Amino acid sequence: MGVPKSSLRLWWPTFCCTSNHTCEVQLAMKQKTGGLAFLGLAATVLAAGVPTSQTPDPVDASPVRVSGGSVSFEVATNVFATTVRGKSSALTGGTRLRDSASGLRLEQLEAVVPVASLRTGITLRDEHMRKYIFQTADGQLPDVRFSADKAECSLADTSGVYACVTSGALAIRGTRQPFAMALKVTRDADGFHVSGDGKVALSMYGIERPSQFGVRTDDEVKIHLELSARTTATTTARVR
Amino acid sequence: MKRQLAFALVGAMGVVIHASPAIALPTMIRLGYTGCASCHYAPQGGGPLNPYGRAIDEAQSLRAGEYRPRDNKVVRALGWSGRIAQDLRLVFPMQRAWAAAHQPAEASFRPRLLYRNFTELPRGFAVHVTITGETDAVPRPALVYDPSGRSSSAVVDVALLRYRIAPTLELSAGRDQLPSGVTIPDLGVFIKARNRLGYYDAPTQVKMHWAGKRHRLTPFAYAPGGNEATGERESGGGTLAEFDAFGNQRAVVGLSLLRGRSPNGNRQMVGAHARLGFGSWGILAQHDVTDRAREDVQASFRQHTTYGHVFWAAREWLVASAIGERLSVQRPFEERLNAGKIEVAARLTSVATIGAGVRMQRDVLTRRVSSSVMFQVALKTAY
Repeated sequence: MGVPKSSLRLWWPTFCCTSNHTCEVQLAMKQKTGGLAFLGLAATVLAAGVPTSQTPDPVDASPVRVSGGSVSFEVATNVFATTVRGKSSALTGGTRLRDSASGLRLEQLEAVVPVASLRTGITLRDEHMRKYIFQTADGQLPDVRFSADKAECSLADTSGVYACVTSGALAIRGTRQPFAMALKVTRDADGFHVSGDGKVALSMYGIERPSQFGVRTDDEVKIHLELSARTTATTTARVR
Repeated sequence: MKRQLAFALVGAMGVVIHASPAIALPTMIRLGYTGCASCHYAPQGGGPLNPYGRAIDEAQSLRAGEYRPRDNKVVRALGWSGRIAQDLRLVFPMQRAWAAAHQPAEASFRPRLLYRNFTELPRGFAVHVTITGETDAVPRPALVYDPSGRSSSAVVDVALLRYRIAPTLELSAGRDQLPSGVTIPDLGVFIKARNRLGYYDAPTQVKMHWAGKRHRLTPFAYAPGGNEATGERESGGGTLAEFDAFGNQRAVVGLSLLRGRSPNGNRQMVGAHARLGFGSWGILAQHDVTDRAREDVQASFRQHTTYGHVFWAAREWLVASAIGERLSVQRPFEERLNAGKIEVAARLTSVATIGAGVRMQRDVLTRRVSSSVMFQVALKTAY
């Protein structure tokens, strides 16, 4: 993309931002505070669990930011035709995208969902979900966070859909466990549309299957995400 | 012709008067509940709620509290250590209806008391009973070609013996309303009242409920219930089939078929229905076509009934609905009615529900407009 390396380093925090406005403020501050900001930035990157040693050569990689995303889940129960579904439209995240003739390479993927934003349609059930699934022993509600180093996506067919499987880690209750997600990436006018599917076993996180008056969920929870992402080159120019 | 018109008017009035609020539970499709079996013991709905249903009932109320089953000697004795689920339900519908503009209103207050019982027996058997006591009869419209069944102050609406073969397959035999499309509780709507699905229509029947991951099938055969008018003792059979169209439990489409024969004639009904849910709102829709051949009046004619219902759960406990209805009956009993209704239902607690509605109906042939306002309080025991 031809963007200087120093500018691109400043990009990573944007992937953790919850809004464009917040991102721009953060970047401007770091630009002014120089070395101190860089230390803060490094800490952020480490906290996000992305090994800096694996950061690829950024010359050809474009930062991509989620401009609108949702994640939904679905879990069957032991009662026939009773399935619990939930959704959050507060998904944020980003990646670095390397576009080549052989396909798309996604690097440093991250997606974050605030637990409080997950809704099942019944408020009391939401409270139960937060309490029994997402709450830590000390009463904290850490975000659900997916991160992966990379995903190689190739054109699946002539329809222009890139398909890939990314293996990374999903943190629930602050506990990271290996997690794989099948992604489909489609280019659109504004950037990219990404959809993904994966499955989580509650038992992997030591979470007991929730139960309510004889209705008990399965251990396996299906997860689906839909997001639109844009390259952030224009914002880069403004910050510089 | 005047006589037929008079009957049509009486019928129209009847619908206006006994319409009750759709404190609608098929609206739970918005949360992915495709059928009644998640919350009710009876897969056809109605009757006592199972413990999960009671928890949902409480959670979906204004109080939005936790359901905590009472556990004491009395409850254990009444419930036969959990085998019996039963409740008492008291309904107070109040209504004022105007047959036409500038005419005096007719007020009605018809309280009803229901006792509902579901008793689990050994080896997959169960008994389901609902008995209604009432001060005034609420018959469906009295039509020449389809007179209402006889009412009484105590009515056994449901008396079924069920045998569960597998968790998704059961047989029932006894007395109940026939399976129908969108399972709204308002029996005054055209799709119910004009298809023998009124308060006193409980034929003797045998039916099977078979549910799959994405489908539900309910074939049935029926015989007279015993309270039909002379010459109207109908026997027949049919089926109700439903399919989860997209596998996401938010779009159920269905088909119902019925063929019945009585000494005075026969009827064949084909219907299609849909229940769609979109989070906080949804759509219920049904259209039925009924062909009747009447030997007593030497006439064959067709009837169309249409029901459309858009609902919005402004809050979990507060559901507003806009309902449109249409009825069209061919000659010699020609009728063309259009109706619209706005209603609001609020579940205050799992014990108390209130509803209010306004309904207007227009007779296309006479251009007469009738209207009604309705308020209802429903109370039930919960433990």
